[in-house]
Amino acid sequence: MSGGNYKSVFDIIGPVMVGPSSSHTAGAVAIGQAAHKIFGEKLKKVTIDYYESFAKTHQGHGTDYAIIAGVLGMETDDLRVPRAVEIAQKQGIEVIFNEHEGTSPINHPNTAIITLENDTKKIKVSGCSIGGGTIEIRDLEVEGCHFTPLGPLPIMLCWTGGNDPVDIKAHLSHDNIQIRKESALSQAGGRYIHELDLDRMPHPKVLDQIKAVSSGLICL
Amino acid sequence: MYNSVAEIVATAQERKLPIWELMLEQEIQYSRSSRTEVWNKMKRQLDVMKAAAKRGTTGDGVFSPTGLTGGEAAKMRKYRESGQGLTDETVLYAIENSLATNEVNAAMGLICATPTAGSSGTIPGVLFALEKKRALTEDQMIAFLFCASAFGMVTANNAMIAGATGGCQAEVGSASGMAAAAAVEICGGTPLQAAEGFAMALSNLLGLVCDPVAGLVEIPCVKRNVVGSVNALAAADMALAGLENKIPADEVILAMKRIGKRLPAQLRETGLGGLAATPTGTKMKMKIFGQELDLNI
Repeated sequence: MSGGNYKSVFDIIGPVMVGPSSSHTAGAVAIGQAAHKIFGEKLKKVTIDYYESFAKTHQGHGTDYAIIAGVLGMETDDLRVPRAVEIAQKQGIEVIFNEHEGTSPINHPNTAIITLENDTKKIKVSGCSIGGGTIEIRDLEVEGCHFTPLGPLPIMLCWTGGNDPVDIKAHLSHDNIQIRKESALSQAGGRYIHELDLDRMPHPKVLDQIKAVSSGLICL
Repeated sequence: MYNSVAEIVATAQERKLPIWELMLEQEIQYSRSSRTEVWNKMKRQLDVMKAAAKRGTTGDGVFSPTGLTGGEAAKMRKYRESGQGLTDETVLYAIENSLATNEVNAAMGLICATPTAGSSGTIPGVLFALEKKRALTEDQMIAFLFCASAFGMVTANNAMIAGATGGCQAEVGSASGMAAAAAVEICGGTPLQAAEGFAMALSNLLGLVCDPVAGLVEIPCVKRNVVGSVNALAAADMALAGLENKIPADEVILAMKRIGKRLPAQLRETGLGGLAATPTGTKMKMKIFGQELDLNI
């Protein structure tokens, strides 16, 4: 069952969270956090596009504040979660929510697409909340590159100067991490962004080793 | 990682270990943490559950911002204390703690999702009732949660645990099965009896729809957790008495998955069908969100 989404007992007995819904609140925080980690800069505008169940019930389930809490970098058990939209607006961030009638572009009833931008940077993260606070990221647009990960986390993004990240793969293999899917896209200046779907989170020491051989690393 | 309930039971029998021990072992390996670290993390989850149940039953209880739910766990506590209950203390205590946890959840308070927030009352209802009935120690309660997680993980990976994909059977149904299995093990049942308890509890709740009024995790979610808890206690008692489900646990999980896929979207956490679409449910939604609604669904 290496493909199973739920890997830790704390995915099942957990997360500890502010109510009311693990898929619509805790999962929304997690999708927001993924976008937060990838963006990593001062934010000017957040646009959230909801589909299906998320579009119908986001108000009732607190999805709006949850997803913004994640975008601001809060955890699921942060008691400020219910006030996150207000907090973002006070920081001068423009917040927009759109409900869509059609089916989800990433084929899941709990879909949210997050677009984060400032004057120089824009990213788009398409996530779905599959239950109990666990999420998948099925589509990513980062610095002009478009990726379609398998979905389950962990997902690793790293920036290097070559199209085959031999060093990185060696470090992962040494840590017994299986790469379930990988893709590399080129950017201007001979840089590459690598997207790797992993079977589990690498050891912190291994992440440090990967950081040392790449010019950027994000692990979702 | 275990692929099926059958594999869990076979491993437990072969190695002569309780199911909770297998899950603790698996987590130590997965998270690369020590036994103490993993154990203490589960203790923190238990502490959050205890605090939520206590908060919901203390004084007049808690109330959600919408006013749709709240205060009823406290009412149940007073009723239990009056000694007038129709069922015994264990069942009344399960009802009370199940309500309390979900009222705290609806009030946007801190809870532990087990396996989801909407179904967060089912397991505490059973666990805290057994704590009283069997004078469980803290370590036994932590072991209970590890055992419950084994069944939840197989269900989540082989079927689903989200109301939006499988209806309430996937949330309260799964939670009830998990609670039944853990109750059996902690009360001295065999791994096979725990699996039978799980299978009976989940079988009993197959087809349960997710129809939250106004899309809120309040009506009927708070009280549906009570049925999850009480059903789990009944299934655990049946399993401990030696009753069998006849349909094996893994087949019940797959039946749940097939049923979930066939449920129309209206009955999968969209707030468009079932109780949500009743005249009273619709009025509540309009009162809260002030929206014009399509009543022809």
